[in-house]
Amino acid sequence: MDVRPAFPLPDTEWEPIREFWAGASRQELRIPKCDACGRLCWYPREKCRHCQATSFAWQTVSGRGTLFSWVVVTHAFLPQFADLVPFAPALVALEEDPAVRLATRIVDCDLDSIDFEMPVEVTFRPIFFTGVDGEVTAPLFVPAR
Amino acid sequence: MSPMSTSSPASAPDWGWATEYENVSGEVAICGVGESDHSKASGRTTRDIVGQAVERALADAGLEPRDVDGLMYISMPDQMDVTAFHEYFGTDHDIWESRGGGGMTHAGAAPYEAAHALRDGLARVILNTFGVAWATQRSNMVGGPGESHAQELFKQNLEIPMGWFPQPVYFATVARRHMFEFGTTQEQLGAIAVAQRRNANHTPTAVMHDRTLTMEQYLAAPTIVAPFRKEDCCLISDGGGAFLMTTAERARDMAKPVVEVAGVGLGNSSTGTHWAQQCAFTSTPQVFAAPVAFAMAGVTHDDIDLYTCYDPFTIHTLMQLEDSGFCPKGEGGAFVEGDILNFDSGKLPTNTHGGLLSHAYVLGIAHVVEVVRQVRGEAAAQVPGAEIGIYGGYTGPQASTLILRRAR
Repeated sequence: MDVRPAFPLPDTEWEPIREFWAGASRQELRIPKCDACGRLCWYPREKCRHCQATSFAWQTVSGRGTLFSWVVVTHAFLPQFADLVPFAPALVALEEDPAVRLATRIVDCDLDSIDFEMPVEVTFRPIFFTGVDGEVTAPLFVPAR
Repeated sequence: MSPMSTSSPASAPDWGWATEYENVSGEVAICGVGESDHSKASGRTTRDIVGQAVERALADAGLEPRDVDGLMYISMPDQMDVTAFHEYFGTDHDIWESRGGGGMTHAGAAPYEAAHALRDGLARVILNTFGVAWATQRSNMVGGPGESHAQELFKQNLEIPMGWFPQPVYFATVARRHMFEFGTTQEQLGAIAVAQRRNANHTPTAVMHDRTLTMEQYLAAPTIVAPFRKEDCCLISDGGGAFLMTTAERARDMAKPVVEVAGVGLGNSSTGTHWAQQCAFTSTPQVFAAPVAFAMAGVTHDDIDLYTCYDPFTIHTLMQLEDSGFCPKGEGGAFVEGDILNFDSGKLPTNTHGGLLSHAYVLGIAHVVEVVRQVRGEAAAQVPGAEIGIYGGYTGPQASTLILRRAR
């Protein structure tokens, strides 16, 4: 398989999620909200998964949530992850709607201290990978202060 | 202990659905099965691997290549389509084909489409095949079997940059959540790995036939993506499988005892491969598939002599046992403790050839081959007196339940 030279950095210009990455570069966590039912819709899709409406507006959310689940990766499944291990990919349930789960990483804490339902909050950090040029600002999460 | 805030209820009504199936119970028989040699990196091509499996399935059924007039496979690289079949066997006759076959969910659901093709006279003998040479090709793949996921743009641009990739990472996250919601333990996951390895130790064709695994060894192994150890994860191997389907009526005149499709069901998840957003996070679409298959077959769980399921990770066996109704949701951990999964002493012998964890990573088609052999009484790790067995197929977005029964 051929991949973009920047893989696994995101393609921040890919239209369906451009605003998510543009928001992160401004230190804002942006999620589309359905104009009809008012529910957050993640991942973006053409129709609202709750009411099937087709019109959305991106909204800035608080960046607070709870830890839904996580893992501790000690084996680099991609060569580009070599300098990351050990690290803790996680799913965070957003305070505004826990049905919305962001794939993210938990940082700035002892990996052994991570626990279920731990309150967490967003932090915007550059992400970069072994052997890949460039970096992108991404919403990672830390234990809530 | 499941909190209100982020629960993932299996009963959430809108997370998936069952595909509507007509009753095809008793119409289709599996009349021939075959597997290639299973191995670590072999240098073989996928076509040669599948060809070997097909030769063996034909020999098993007592059929010739020209007898095959229907072919099912999946649109993945190097699978055996009609052109490849003719090239391999030097034939040129008309063959009906469908891309609704192959391994995974499809190995379980293919008999449903085959039933209609047989009914409509489109074919008389239908071959379903699947094979991979991923052990050989692995170094050129992005994240190994994760490659197809890496091509999906939401995953590529929202999950992979966070390191939430590939499959061992997704499903260790599911396992961790299952531990939280239901109190499932590391030892209970280990019980699955240990039992399936023991079954493989009695199956000469299994890649791990000569490698034993004790609970002590399992617990002492390092995690690679906690809570998973390597032993929680499927093998990567080169191999393939094939099975031949015809009408139950025709099968009575053929070489082997008749193994009929008693029931089949297909379930779907509305969030597809975006597991992060699947509201019933610790469930599989077997919740939807299994009731359809059981009702069609007219059997209960007590009638089932052995169970097999697509088991890329230990947690999948645990979840599918729950979701197929062998125990209440959340009680899978306690259910798999002890010797219950063992082929010779267990109450529900499970993945009796060793499964994807310890037999071979051929994505489920060898599970169907195993169930057929078991209910014929021809398996290596034979369950005494087995007459009815199940294959639970899984792809993530879909799951299937296939109930096979030795015809009386």
